[in-house]
Amino acid sequence: MTRRTLNKAEPSRRAVLKGIGAGLLASTVMPGAVRAQGAPIKLGFQLHVTGIGASYGRWYQRTADAALKMINDAGGINGRPVEILYEDDGTDPKRGAEVVDKFVNKHGCDLVFGTLFSHVVIGSAPRAGELKVPYLVCSEGYHVASGMLNRWTLQPGITDARSQIVSMAPWVAANLGKKVTMIFPDFAFGHDHRDFFTAAIAAQGGEVIAQIAVPPTETSFTRYFPQIPADTEVLYHVMVGPAVLTFVKELGEFYGSGPKPAMFGFIDSLEAVDIATPGLEFLEGSHFWEGHNRMKPADAGEHEAAYRAAVGVDDNGASVSDPKDVATYSHMFSAWETLYIIKAGMEASGYQGPADRQKFVEAVEAMTEIPYGIEHPQGAKRFNGKTHQVFGTQNISQVQGGKLVRVHQTSIEDGLYDDAVDYTAQPF
Amino acid sequence: MKGLAGVFLLLPGAAFACALPPSVVLTLPTGYYMAGAAAVVGLTALLAAGTGKVPALTCCRIAEGPDRLPQMALSYLSFLILCALLALGFLGAEDPMHNLLTLGFWTGIWVALPMAVMVFGNLWRPISPWRAPVRIARLLLGRERGIGLARFGAWPAVMGLAGFSWFLNVSVAPQDPEGLARVMGIYWLAVFVLAVAEGEDWLDQGEFLTLFFALIARVAPLWAERRDGRVARYLGWPGAQIARMAPFSRAEMAFVSLALASLSFDGLSETFFWLGLIGENPLEFTGRSAVVRVNTAGLAATWAVTAGLLWAVLALGRRLGGERFAAGPLMLSFLAIAAGYHIAHHLVTLLGSGQFLILALNDPLFRGDEMLGLPTFFVSFGFLTDPAVMSLIYAAQFAAVLGAHLLAVVLVMTRAGSSARAVAHLPMTGLMVVYTVFGLWLLSTARGV
Repeated sequence: MTRRTLNKAEPSRRAVLKGIGAGLLASTVMPGAVRAQGAPIKLGFQLHVTGIGASYGRWYQRTADAALKMINDAGGINGRPVEILYEDDGTDPKRGAEVVDKFVNKHGCDLVFGTLFSHVVIGSAPRAGELKVPYLVCSEGYHVASGMLNRWTLQPGITDARSQIVSMAPWVAANLGKKVTMIFPDFAFGHDHRDFFTAAIAAQGGEVIAQIAVPPTETSFTRYFPQIPADTEVLYHVMVGPAVLTFVKELGEFYGSGPKPAMFGFIDSLEAVDIATPGLEFLEGSHFWEGHNRMKPADAGEHEAAYRAAVGVDDNGASVSDPKDVATYSHMFSAWETLYIIKAGMEASGYQGPADRQKFVEAVEAMTEIPYGIEHPQGAKRFNGKTHQVFGTQNISQVQGGKLVRVHQTSIEDGLYDDAVDYTAQPF
Repeated sequence: MKGLAGVFLLLPGAAFACALPPSVVLTLPTGYYMAGAAAVVGLTALLAAGTGKVPALTCCRIAEGPDRLPQMALSYLSFLILCALLALGFLGAEDPMHNLLTLGFWTGIWVALPMAVMVFGNLWRPISPWRAPVRIARLLLGRERGIGLARFGAWPAVMGLAGFSWFLNVSVAPQDPEGLARVMGIYWLAVFVLAVAEGEDWLDQGEFLTLFFALIARVAPLWAERRDGRVARYLGWPGAQIARMAPFSRAEMAFVSLALASLSFDGLSETFFWLGLIGENPLEFTGRSAVVRVNTAGLAATWAVTAGLLWAVLALGRRLGGERFAAGPLMLSFLAIAAGYHIAHHLVTLLGSGQFLILALNDPLFRGDEMLGLPTFFVSFGFLTDPAVMSLIYAAQFAAVLGAHLLAVVLVMTRAGSSARAVAHLPMTGLMVVYTVFGLWLLSTARGV
């Protein structure tokens, strides 16, 4: 088992931290030499090591390892050391459910967390419910708050796509334009953007004047661009997958040096890609949603540097060992923050072992305001115990000189929406 | 699972948070590469067939002396390492990128070792984990005879490779350390029992890894021949050994066609083309568990098409060119293609997973050791999004595929001899061109896994 505990701190992190001034980090989080004792708390991390989620999985693991080290260095949870067991789910829903089972029945994990891809969450959550094990996901999906999952499944470490999308509309309408054309991949991910943003921009007095759905298997986009109405003020694009670079290149060729609409996208399209990559020049001046700014903002919070140092990420959002290795920075904080929610939930419930799993869920459900701090470096959040979903601030960045520069941060209120479920009314 | 995937599409909020990383290769002018390679292969074949002139694949002996390689000791050592790795598979990290069994087998033995073998000759033979245990077991049991397995020739190896190809390409979790340890343990034991019953030499034709490495080693420019306690070392053009090999048996032809088909399907099954064909959205692939049946059929169909095409062009060539166009000798040339494909197909895996392997070799138990003397480091995949690096990688893959096909063309000419009519080469030339384009297309098209 890949066990990362107090005394077996992740070596790769240790060496790198040494090189980047870990002393600073240690001095801020280690109140003396606190040593956790007793049997470790075992946390199962459902990791996408293989399959289509692998590029994210690597960074989620790196982030979780860094948070784990910090938690253990500060004394663990309830005085006990913490272990993370990583299992590969192959980014596969069926295997995901099997992995949940294995964590609980074979390894005796206290809970399961960390899942990114929505279909794995949706495939695994029912099993977590049957086993009555807390399942804390990091998937951004609206499926938690929509009510389709269960009492044992929570998303306290990252906001959902619906909240992210609707919180963009006020700024887009006020700053970029009110006539929006949306171009998106023709499946659930794109449909979420289409539906939530269309409604949100209408509420701001704007209008989506064209919706261009591109089949997911498409790798050339030239024939779709003539469908963009000439009076488009904002082009909202959320293409994802291997052909994104081709999309940008062809869009640049389509507009040439002539006038073009303002462009707004989600960084999901270019997560883990250097925005200064040759071929992406057309994006200069355009805007992106970012969950957590990969380029350290000039006015970044006081804990941003310590978080980056712990994970091994530089001020450009790339690995300290390779400036080309850009992190999945907008999303991976969720692994870190979820781990700290687990810590807070276990401490609030006086968690001792699997018999206290229900008490743990109730303790997380009781959470409301989550302050900014090293435990929550992306920003302050507000947890909705009824919908099991957390809400937080979002960022809008502009590409300036090949760098993503934050130009706006939303309020938590910008991303709120009406509850669709009350999980606390459901039985355990 | 497919049904479930359908349900996902109907539900709000079932969207993926994110998807696959963007591909630099899709922005490269790969069409020109394909056209250029096709033209070079086609023209080379036509020119060679028309003039009857092909470069002589010469070789020379560069050293000779007593054979001091402790083969049995190495085999014992290898067996002990295997046991340790299997133990790690059962007891070590569940995460495949932090388990030396998964990394050692898939990246070390399956990806890197064949590449080394293509240069330095058959490095697998001395480190086979069966040879020494089988010898000692036969000695202890007093067995001197076999049970007649030899009469099946290489067919058991074909079966072994078929099972392995399925495990690699189709099974749900080939990288899962525990599952891999179980499969490897069972396979080692089965081969051990058969080899003890039949004799050590049976491994050379009946065990698929042994046969695979022996065949792929034939493209190496360096090789050794061991006989009666002496070793002779040779240096020659790549393929010089193939030019002098005994023709393939039917089973060996099946083996090579299967090796080619397996590599082809490994690439094909990840493409947008294939995923679209089987009704999967490549941007939200539902995982290997959802496609076991259809990919089993796909693998079988790829083998059938590969073998069928080979049979057809050889039959057509024989009809046009007479007896000299025998399948056994000509199929040898496909060894070069299998080798080139292996390099091209696995190059990115080597550069990526190779880093995890080095990390694991340096610190096998992930507790901070530095057994290779390396400071620990972060694994990096930054090169995948760097246009300059990816252009170089694609160029290297291009060179491997094109070089392999040119060598194959030369080998076909060499083994067919100058007496074969030029026109007889046309069908084979056509196939070589098609295969060149297909190989390069696999490397340059959009992939969803």
